[in-house]
Amino acid sequence: MDFRPLTETERKTLTTALRGNAQDGLAVLMDRQTTSFLGTAEEVPDEEVINAIRSVPCHY
Amino acid sequence: MPLKRVQLTDEVSRTLFGEYAAHRASERGHEEIGWDLLGTRQDDTATVLATLPAGEARDAGTEHVQFNRAAQEFAWWILRQQTRRLRMLGVVHTHPGTLRHPSSADYRGDIQWVANLKGQEGVFGIGTADADTGDAEVSSQPAPNVQCLGNLRLTWYLLGKDDQNYRGLPVELSIGPDLAAPLRPVWDELEVHADRLNRLAQQLSRVKFEVTAGHRKPALTLTIPLPDNQRAVRVELEGKDVRYRLLTPDRGALAADLREDRVDVGVFLMLSELAAR
Repeated sequence: MDFRPLTETERKTLTTALRGNAQDGLAVLMDRQTTSFLGTAEEVPDEEVINAIRSVPCHY
Repeated sequence: MPLKRVQLTDEVSRTLFGEYAAHRASERGHEEIGWDLLGTRQDDTATVLATLPAGEARDAGTEHVQFNRAAQEFAWWILRQQTRRLRMLGVVHTHPGTLRHPSSADYRGDIQWVANLKGQEGVFGIGTADADTGDAEVSSQPAPNVQCLGNLRLTWYLLGKDDQNYRGLPVELSIGPDLAAPLRPVWDELEVHADRLNRLAQQLSRVKFEVTAGHRKPALTLTIPLPDNQRAVRVELEGKDVRYRLLTPDRGALAADLREDRVDVGVFLMLSELAAR
């Protein structure tokens, strides 16, 4: 197994993700195959969901 | 990345099959019924984490179903308090006969709708009561995109905005919740007051909605903290009752002498009265 230091960008991203997890309960996502860090769960814009619900078509 | 599978939590699956069976046994059991599917997308997998029912105020018959959108929108406002990761994934609806595929009329509406979804594709389930497995205790999966329980069958499809037809979408099960299940006991109240509650949800950023113990059954409760952060206005919706309370740190819960069925009007009357003191 090989280990390397995180790049500055990777370190900042991971720190932000962990802070979001601790403060707001946001999920920290993991690659299912490599278990590497994938980022945080995105917040979905309110408008996206509201518009989708309001526009569900009639079904037949 | 295009979707390759839809993953249902065990509670979501139980909700869909359970409510489908209950619907068929009801007075309106001959009508079509359906649910919105909310959840997350990660890579090529859509995971359904919440189901929003069509509602009693749906417009439905033997050949169509139009959901009560206002109630579903308000249900989402409640779920949003828990997580802001939920997005619309698709829709399940049933066919009274044996058509296990969305109809051409379904396609005309869905192909427009999916263009607005994440990835410009949506998940669609078709419920029919023509499964031949017969086992009412344990579900089976006779094909990758088919679930059966008793005589009920759910067949799953994917539709992208450029597709000429629906494609079969493999379905998988995982352990997890239906985040909207706790709202079912107050769904009647939710439907009655949905339009006014939707307005309150957008007007008052600190309002909190929850399901609490009522006098006779669970109640849909709103709590609005006042600027002093010690008191709060609380409204309990239980059946036809609309109860207004002022929560105080020193005197406990005080019943407000206010009879107002329009919940948004009642809330603003309370806030106005308190602001004037």
